[in-house]
Amino acid sequence: MSLIELHDLCKTYNTAAVPVRAVRNVSLQIEKQEFTAIVGPSGSGKTTLLNLIGGLDKPTGGSIFVEGKDIATLKANDLIDFRLHHIGFVFQAYNLIPVFTAKENVEFIMLLQGVSKAKREQRALELLESVGLGDRVNSFPTQLSGGQQQRVAVARALASRPSFVLADEPTANLDSHTAGALLDMMAQLNREFEMTFIFSTHDPRVIKRAHRVVTLEDGAVKSDIRQNEAAEGTE
Amino acid sequence: MILSLAWKNIWRNKKRSLIIIVATALGLWGSLLSGAIWMGWGESMVDTAISRDLAHIQIHKPGYAQNKEIINYIPDGFQILKETQNLPGIAAVSGRTLVEGMAASPTSTFGVKIVGIVPAQAKTVTDIYKRLIEGEYFPDGGGRNPVVIGRKLADRLGLKLHSKIVLSFQDLDGSLNYAAGKIVGIYKTESSLFDQSNVFMRQADLFRLLNTKPLIHEIAIRAESARIMPQVYAAVKANYPQLAVHSWKELAPEVAYTSAAMEAFTYIFIGIILFALLFGITNTMLMAVIERFRELGVLIAVGMKKGRVFTMILLETILLSITGGVAGIVIGAISIVYLAHAGIDLTALASGMETFGASTVLRPFLPLDMYIALPIMIVITASLSAVLPAWKVIHIQPSEAIRTY
Repeated sequence: MSLIELHDLCKTYNTAAVPVRAVRNVSLQIEKQEFTAIVGPSGSGKTTLLNLIGGLDKPTGGSIFVEGKDIATLKANDLIDFRLHHIGFVFQAYNLIPVFTAKENVEFIMLLQGVSKAKREQRALELLESVGLGDRVNSFPTQLSGGQQQRVAVARALASRPSFVLADEPTANLDSHTAGALLDMMAQLNREFEMTFIFSTHDPRVIKRAHRVVTLEDGAVKSDIRQNEAAEGTE
Repeated sequence: MILSLAWKNIWRNKKRSLIIIVATALGLWGSLLSGAIWMGWGESMVDTAISRDLAHIQIHKPGYAQNKEIINYIPDGFQILKETQNLPGIAAVSGRTLVEGMAASPTSTFGVKIVGIVPAQAKTVTDIYKRLIEGEYFPDGGGRNPVVIGRKLADRLGLKLHSKIVLSFQDLDGSLNYAAGKIVGIYKTESSLFDQSNVFMRQADLFRLLNTKPLIHEIAIRAESARIMPQVYAAVKANYPQLAVHSWKELAPEVAYTSAAMEAFTYIFIGIILFALLFGITNTMLMAVIERFRELGVLIAVGMKKGRVFTMILLETILLSITGGVAGIVIGAISIVYLAHAGIDLTALASGMETFGASTVLRPFLPLDMYIALPIMIVITASLSAVLPAWKVIHIQPSEAIRTY
């Protein structure tokens, strides 16, 4: 059983003018520990597909199995609960809670999971250490650079011990050097913690490091190429 | 941590939060102070009426209120007076002999109630002796038939201190008696009506003039405190089922009603202020929610259930309102305590105040239960204010909210 299985997945937005078919009959299997990039031009359906996989949106057709569970059939609250325990999110604009420190941002997810204070503090510190921010645990987002904020976002995504991490254009707001360092870190987490990453991206640096590149065009899969893992770590 | 997040969120836009906190504080301060002034006024009316003549409880012979003839005295009145003195919760008692009559001067005549008292006893129940503006309260050696009258009556009859006053009244046989008295004291209370119609004499003098054995028509009782008055009243009523026992509320329902109305007005006024604030708080929270639309969407996306987000917004609203509310209550309490101590001098409005039987020095007062009720009212207001913003939050679609900039 694959970690994620998409069967004939469709998403159509019924706009006032004409229905927009954002995702058309996509079928994919994503295995554990894959480092997958979903690429394509703007409007190709990358973000919609990511939203569907992440349970942030409901498909209009087909099914999405995550660890054997069809998440498209889950009720709203169960879906939120599923996301909390199974999916880590990294957003383009970092989206940290501005009034919380880096440590509190990471801890917050574990609080929602009901983890005890001592355990969540310990894990938050470990994760921030592993993303290279051991010395900035008490900094607020506004006191951190874009790259550092995205590292906190990655630590937050991992805090819940998810099955996989969805990263929507995580390097789009970062300069070349910072983006490279962030990708190095994610690749390391992928290797060391066997964490599955799924990116939607335009960034050739991400594409270069991905094990697998799924290209979308007009909402449908145009190509699905597995790359040599040797590309990892090269920048 | 959610409480901490809610508290920190309030201070993300300090200026906006401070505006609503200051508005809440000022609104509550104003309503508390004005409410305390109204209630102080109501309390003043009650206190002055009790201290002037009503006392807490009165005992009469049944039917006395309808027929105030001299023959309607309390059977074994002095024995009952002695007994009530020893009942628990009673601070003092005073027996009164009441005779309806006329007071005359060389120029005028006026209908009055002649109140026969034992001065030392009366002093323990009422405070007419404190209201003397001329002369003394039944001094030793005050001459034959010393009389204490009110300023208003003295003015109407054209009499002064040490003037002679002629009192006429019926005795037990129905015969008309005339007696000359000497004015030894002139009092002035908050009620000009009382001042023009009550003449005080020593009981012994009245008995002599009436040519009768000692008798009393009224036993005035002062309880140890207003708080235990209802229990004392119940005990006295149970002890003397054959007599008419009345509390001050029954004797002067208009005073009790006015006092209760003042309290009701205070609650209504505070309610109106909070209702107005409700819209301000709702607006502030709506702005806060709209500004944080993406962030709230992210919270839902990463696994915060909508119920928890709803709670967070509710907590933010309550904390915002309570902060303003507590500030308003504290400032209000300080103002009330200060003004209660210093008093508000309303001498300029003395004639109007006397019509209502209230003191010209007003001491704002707010009962403790109102300080307890207010935070509850604020929390209810805040909860209502949070409904619309929180409703917006629970309808956020995270996939859309995340892409909002």
